[in-house]
Amino acid sequence: MSVRRLVLIADDDEDVLALVRATIERSGHEVMAVGDGAAALSAMAERRPDLAVLDIAMPELDGLEVLRRLRADDETKDLPVILLTAQAQAADVERGFATGASAYVRKPFSPRDLATRVDDLLA
Amino acid sequence: MTAAGLRTMPLARVYLVAGITATGLYFLLPWDSLAQAILYDVIGLSAAAAVVAGTRINRPSLPVAWYLFAAGLFAFAAGDVLFNLYAWAWHRDPPIPSIADVFYLAGYPFLTLGLVLLVLRVRPGDRRVGMIDATLLTVAFAICQWIFVMHPLIAGSSDWVANVVALSYPAMDVLLLAALVFLALTPAWRTVSYRYLTASILLLVVVDEIYGISPGSFPGTSWLDAGWLLSYVLWGVAALHPSMRDLSRRQAARGQRLTNVRLLVLAVAVATVPIILVIERFVEREVDALALAIGSAVLSALVLLRLSGMIRSLDRHRRSERSARAEAESAHKELALKNEQLVEADRLKDEFVALISHDLRTPLTSIMGYLELVLDDHNLSEEQRGYLSIVDRNADRLLHLVNDLLFVARLEAGQLDLHPSELDLAAVVRQSVAEAEPRAAARGVELACEASDVPALKADKGRMFQLLDNLVSNAIKFTPEGGDVRVSLARVNGFVRLEVADNGIGIDADEQQRLFERFFRASTASDQQIPGTGLGLYIARAIVEAHDGSISVESVSGEGTSFRIDLPVEQVGSTT
Repeated sequence: MSVRRLVLIADDDEDVLALVRATIERSGHEVMAVGDGAAALSAMAERRPDLAVLDIAMPELDGLEVLRRLRADDETKDLPVILLTAQAQAADVERGFATGASAYVRKPFSPRDLATRVDDLLA
Repeated sequence: MTAAGLRTMPLARVYLVAGITATGLYFLLPWDSLAQAILYDVIGLSAAAAVVAGTRINRPSLPVAWYLFAAGLFAFAAGDVLFNLYAWAWHRDPPIPSIADVFYLAGYPFLTLGLVLLVLRVRPGDRRVGMIDATLLTVAFAICQWIFVMHPLIAGSSDWVANVVALSYPAMDVLLLAALVFLALTPAWRTVSYRYLTASILLLVVVDEIYGISPGSFPGTSWLDAGWLLSYVLWGVAALHPSMRDLSRRQAARGQRLTNVRLLVLAVAVATVPIILVIERFVEREVDALALAIGSAVLSALVLLRLSGMIRSLDRHRRSERSARAEAESAHKELALKNEQLVEADRLKDEFVALISHDLRTPLTSIMGYLELVLDDHNLSEEQRGYLSIVDRNADRLLHLVNDLLFVARLEAGQLDLHPSELDLAAVVRQSVAEAEPRAAARGVELACEASDVPALKADKGRMFQLLDNLVSNAIKFTPEGGDVRVSLARVNGFVRLEVADNGIGIDADEQQRLFERFFRASTASDQQIPGTGLGLYIARAIVEAHDGSISVESVSGEGTSFRIDLPVEQVGSTT
């Protein structure tokens, strides 16, 4: 926690985006926040984050597609990615992990839990 | 033959044997003797008596037809007696016509009427084709009868009374045969009784014909008598045979089929007139052109009727086939449309489920997440913290409701997909109880857990947590302060048994049956305004049943409730 890292967060709901930002900034990390999948990819191309938190249901490109492209790119294939989703089915969770997610957080989430996951992956 | 043997022999066969024997005896007696005459009369009268007896014994549904037969045969026999009286009592030749002729001729209408009654009874009136065929045959026979028998009979005589009498016999034969043919075209022809009847009538007609062609060639006793006598006997046998009941039983007539045999018979009938013309040409006799022309015209008309009937029924079939096909097509289209609508409805439902899942969770994410952030603030007053914890609890309830509704929606849609894995249920139980501990403590309820190690189960971990959470939360919710909730897990025979027992408010006996129904809430719960949706136990049962297990409840109102769940152990021996 002592090291300040860069975390990209992407969610199309502004309030949830602000909640995730507040949660991660409280842990002392720098945050890049975007509202859709395409923006997430271009932001990451400009400045490579240490971790990404992606909402699954987003316009333009959804979280799973962004994750797929990250894994296909040698530069980002090992980037830790947390998927955030309101979809509750076990099948969705499986699909997320199969695509290469490092962790999976279900909405609604406890900010404390999310912070712990982020710190664990950045450690 | 012993008396016992007689009793077991069918009556029809007894009479048949006796009749044939008597007929044989007739020819052994001195010819043209009184004894012969008496035996002849006895055989005739016995036939009438046999028909009456057969009708009494077999009880057909149309006895009147058979009594008409009996009357007809009796009239014949009476004619025989009178005929013999001329010879033996009055010692003179019978005049032409004689009283005997009156009785003979009176017999035919009775017999014919009886046959007609049977035909009408057996045959539903709409079998037009059968009627036409029978008429065709009858007309053809009538033409032959006229040309070969009746016309020559009156050719040389101008005594019209004698002519009428002479013509009456072959005319009656035509009627009798016609009735027989009509009966043949009903389902009745398959019965044994009908075959005896046919044999009897054919014998009668054939002998009548032979006699009719040259009555003078057969004075006194002749071999022709055998035909008449056997005809009597066979009619009696037909009445005594038990199958005579079927002759008057209304049967579902099957469609008239144009079999080859039938086609051949019809062809012969149609060819009658040309054949007669050829024969007349060879015997070089004068052709009765008028009779042949009329007969030919009638036959042609009948053939035309038959053809038109066939073509019409073919048309009807084709039309009904076409309409049936159109109907099937429209039904198919409708089905496809319905199917499309169902698929659409299914899609809408899935969308709705996704909506609940996503669009209700997203605002809840903000509410619950920010609430947690605010509650982390140490500068809150106690009062503010209290208010916010109420918001937190209610947000939690809302989330539970959303989850439960989503679960039920998926369950109803048959989308409850399980992800079973080797599961240590004891660990799940311990963890669930540990997580429920703070809630129990907050309500002042003692929560105890006795989870012994059980064989590993193949089960969906998430669903098992959900099941335990539902049951344990319920138990805590319905148990007043100071009460106990005990959760136990043990192996019982082939099952792993999970029990969640409390000494809370209990459930009324008459409501326990309905406890696992969707949205059902026990009156003890609603009376005390304990919040809930009535979905928890419905979901619990669904989870248990999806794992091939069973759930049951025992409860005494005011004393407590115990839920028992038995899950089958699949892999016996693989303990953890």
